[in-house]
Amino acid sequence: MDGKLDWMAAGLPTEGTNALHPRAGDTARKDVPTCGLTDRLGDVRERVKEKAWDSVVVVNQEHVVLGLLRSAELAKDADLLIEQAMRPGPSTFRPYVSLHEMAHFMIEHKLENAPITTSDGRLVGLLLQKDVVAAMNKIAK
Amino acid sequence: MSESAPVRKRCTKCDRAVEVCACCDEPECEAAICYGCLRVAVGQALPQPHAHGG
Repeated sequence: MDGKLDWMAAGLPTEGTNALHPRAGDTARKDVPTCGLTDRLGDVRERVKEKAWDSVVVVNQEHVVLGLLRSAELAKDADLLIEQAMRPGPSTFRPYVSLHEMAHFMIEHKLENAPITTSDGRLVGLLLQKDVVAAMNKIAK
Repeated sequence: MSESAPVRKRCTKCDRAVEVCACCDEPECEAAICYGCLRVAVGQALPQPHAHGG
């Protein structure tokens, strides 16, 4: 473990006043569908639709995030390989980023979702803007 | 004949030229932010007092 940020990025427990604030890793959906670079887009689209998702995270065998497919990418030609259709190298956030910061950035940048990863790029989950807003509203009440 | 240079976005925090917004990956983002400023803003890095490394 390289330091405090890496400790928190791995989703390990923390102490103190700040530990009580909700974090991206707590709210990110861990059941987000994933696929590989060489999968066929049409097959992935069907699988995702069955689970009522509109985004898929592209990962390698170590579960490191390589790309992301949101609605626009999922709507492309069914015969494309995932590596041809995906949005490569998406911006990722660490699990310890506060939900308040995530809400600010996701709304300002119209981000429907954002991948949450550890420091070495392994997928933790997908944070949905609607979940962030709901969590922030719950805190405000 | 000369070609005009492509108009680049600038980071809204530090004014550095950026190709795409580091937050949403969109080249046309109105609130474009560079990777360094984004990392500091979300607490993924500490602000560096100097531009150089050492």
